[in-house]
Amino acid sequence: MNNPYLPYPVRIAEIRVETEDKNLRTFKFEFLNPGDEEKFAYLPGQFAELSVPGQGEIPIGIASSPTEKGFVLFTVNRVGQVSSWMHNMKAGDVMGIRGPLGHPYPLEELRGKNVVIIAGGFAVTTLRSTITWLLQPENRPNYGKITFIYGARSPGLLLYKEEWMAWEKRDDIDVFVTIDREVPNWGYKVGFVPAVTKEVCPPPENTAAVICGPPVMIKFTQPVLEEAGYKPENIIMSLENRMKCGLGICGRCNVGPEYVCKDGPVFTLAQLNKLPKEY
Amino acid sequence: MPALEDVAKKIRESAKRLLAEGRAEVVVGYRRGTIPLTTAPFFARTAEECDQLVWSNFARINLANYLPGRKKVALVAKGCDARSAVGQVVENQIPRDELYVIGVPCTGMVDNALVAAKEPRPIREVVETTDDSFTLKGEGYSVEVRKEEVLRRNCRTCAHRTPKLADELAAPEVPGATPDDFADIKALASKTPAERLAHFKDLIKDCLRCYACRNACPLCYCPICFVDETRPQWLGKSNDPMDTLTFHLLRGLHCSGRCTSCGACETVCPVNIKVREFNRILELTVQKEWQYEPGLSWDQKPPLTMFQTDDAAEFIK
Amino acid sequence: MPEYIAKKSALTDFFKALSAGRRLLTPQGAGDQCRLAETAPDQVKLDYVNTHMSPKTLFFPQTEKLMAFHKDASKPDANIYSCAGDKAVPTVVFGLRPCDARGLSVANKVFQNDRFTDPYWKGKFDQTVSVGLACAAPAPQCFCAAMGGSPYGLTGLDILAFRLEGGDLGLKAGSEAGEALLKDLKLESADLAAVFNSQQAAAIQAQGVAPDYRPIDEANLMALFQDPHWLSTAENCLNCGVCTFFCPTCHCFDIQDEQDEKGGVRMRNWDTCMSWLFTVHGTGHNPRPSKTERVRQRFMHKLKYIPLKQDGVRGCTGCGRCVAMCPVNIDIRAVALKMCQSSAPSQA
Repeated sequence: MNNPYLPYPVRIAEIRVETEDKNLRTFKFEFLNPGDEEKFAYLPGQFAELSVPGQGEIPIGIASSPTEKGFVLFTVNRVGQVSSWMHNMKAGDVMGIRGPLGHPYPLEELRGKNVVIIAGGFAVTTLRSTITWLLQPENRPNYGKITFIYGARSPGLLLYKEEWMAWEKRDDIDVFVTIDREVPNWGYKVGFVPAVTKEVCPPPENTAAVICGPPVMIKFTQPVLEEAGYKPENIIMSLENRMKCGLGICGRCNVGPEYVCKDGPVFTLAQLNKLPKEY
Repeated sequence: MPALEDVAKKIRESAKRLLAEGRAEVVVGYRRGTIPLTTAPFFARTAEECDQLVWSNFARINLANYLPGRKKVALVAKGCDARSAVGQVVENQIPRDELYVIGVPCTGMVDNALVAAKEPRPIREVVETTDDSFTLKGEGYSVEVRKEEVLRRNCRTCAHRTPKLADELAAPEVPGATPDDFADIKALASKTPAERLAHFKDLIKDCLRCYACRNACPLCYCPICFVDETRPQWLGKSNDPMDTLTFHLLRGLHCSGRCTSCGACETVCPVNIKVREFNRILELTVQKEWQYEPGLSWDQKPPLTMFQTDDAAEFIK
Repeated sequence: MPEYIAKKSALTDFFKALSAGRRLLTPQGAGDQCRLAETAPDQVKLDYVNTHMSPKTLFFPQTEKLMAFHKDASKPDANIYSCAGDKAVPTVVFGLRPCDARGLSVANKVFQNDRFTDPYWKGKFDQTVSVGLACAAPAPQCFCAAMGGSPYGLTGLDILAFRLEGGDLGLKAGSEAGEALLKDLKLESADLAAVFNSQQAAAIQAQGVAPDYRPIDEANLMALFQDPHWLSTAENCLNCGVCTFFCPTCHCFDIQDEQDEKGGVRMRNWDTCMSWLFTVHGTGHNPRPSKTERVRQRFMHKLKYIPLKQDGVRGCTGCGRCVAMCPVNIDIRAVALKMCQSSAPSQA
């Protein structure tokens, strides 16, 4: 029987320090066993449990796109016991990943629509996956205008610099990167994500917004979108709650009757409006 | 032998008066339970709610447990509970002037396990009118039980049944019982370390790690208990005997010189662990070393929470 | 389907045949010492009330090893977890109460949900034949009928036994596997439907007039959630986990790693929504920060969330353990009534 608790063994192929405070590192994993990569078939928006033997597990959104073959990427913030341990691991070390877990962003349902992707801080991870996937030649023609709004407190806290700089040069995606306060030689936007969203978000007709960020950003961006005429059905969010099993069994991540791990983490605002705000 | 209803009346009168005078905003007492052999902690904020307050032979929970952080609160307290409340004032969990103690001199509370042992048939109703006996009723039977025969162990050896430091008493004073002679503890102390470890492991073998003992204890008011700390995580969370024993031993140590033998820990334990054994070992030690009993003075701090230059230090070698 | 009879004079033979090739677990011990224990066919007791703990312990023990790893770097699988669950033993459990069997079937739908199957639960669950014993005389804390069950309910059981006058046991199949097993046992078959029905009616009546909790089913989720009564409902709660640990449908657990110099294990331990730690985020944010939210979670889960996810079946089966065990007498029946009174009817 398939055991959904048992992680696939992986080797850390590469670790990249993402931010100037060194609190975020991106881990590139390669599967140790042939066939496991195929079993770990995922879509943008899903997450996995990263497993360090003897330390525990942490649920982390998948930052790579399934179109990127041979590896999977996770960007890990140093917060608790497992993530701190991981920050002291090095390339070549063996650990585990378990998943994919949760539901992906509804990219199938968004076909034919414009997509505005709004990210704040390090919550950009699964949105990196989404944009990478959308920009693939086989996927890009299926979608309308793509807009990417990404904010962080300062330039040094922005993830995936090379990638978004490359996206910025393309003409099939509009990229707006912003920081909270002006710094010298900053060539992009300045201001909070809600303000930038108000300024640049496309009209709501045939458009869906995907938002991922800290609670305070979501709290102030959501009304901006609603005022702009976005319907709750077209505002898509990804929730976080404390998780253990990732399978809808261990019971702690529920928001009303829905388990964030199994039934989410992706919900529309229309769904969340009917649920307790226990997240 | 006061009628329970007379005591209840006195409690209700006091509660209403304290609320009316603004001396208290909430009165923490007991109401009838929804099933036989129980009461429930109850928070009365209006005169109507005060009418639900009762006195009972089953008022086991120590209500001082609900005090930390409250303001303008009146507490219905047995001797042991009042001592816990005093301890909380001494330990700065509640200012003295926010607290009013309605003391109830107490002749002990009933151990339901002893009732079940005496009367194994299903009990559908309990009738209690006085504080020395009660009547059990079930399918085709009715038996009277003398409370003395089913008292909790801590109540049988309670030397401080009258809450002397209470702001008022809801019943006449009662004499204390013969104090705990700690005979079993002394016998245990004479055993080898291996024998004692085996004894303790057996004592806690059914523990579910539900922490009801901790949560019912008025001494356990830490915002985050050491067992819930995650960085570092001090001990494992499985039913491993050493982890479970470590929890009980450390909780016992944290309570040493502070425990008033209210028995709440044993009352709430769902698997009948004699939790107080850990506390009693330390109670004996503190009595012997410092001649101290907690909760009998508004200003005397528990010896293990203090440092004095003339502290005995023979144990430092 | 006909019923079957196991004769009083041949009960030992019946239990022997029932447990051929399986271990036999039955309730042993009295009062709060009553627990499921391995039993010889001639030692089965019929006069218990119910086991102290719920039978979920059979499939979901308090602590369970899930996987293990070693640190021997000379081997290729060093630091890689491999499955290490206990091997399931073929088992027949006799004497489950219908409330508990129903509880197991609710928990089963969590452990084997729409997306994932828990192999540790399933391994043991699939190896177990569940035989119930109907409750002719409900205990004072019982309220299965009010929660939509019956003291003679078949849900979650392969076979239900009920006592006949003279000491024989009536047997009724609750599943196809149960029916097949009863046929194999070569018992006398009989039409006991009338006896069964009249016993069941009497047993339900013995529980008293059942309160109608249907307004909760019909109520809007957010109306129930936002009702102010939760503050007073939760005020005396100690936030111990007793109700959750004793509940036959409570399924929450924590996953923990432990290791020494040679290797380690990953295990799961019962956890409880009453605990502050259960939901706290790494950032310190806690979606259920006080006991009010945690108490609400437990009752909403039992009486609203589970019914929404399990076709109206409640997460409370009326076994009465939490009522009997709660140190501060928080009675789910009283809470359910508050939920009924508070709830505005659903718009939908």
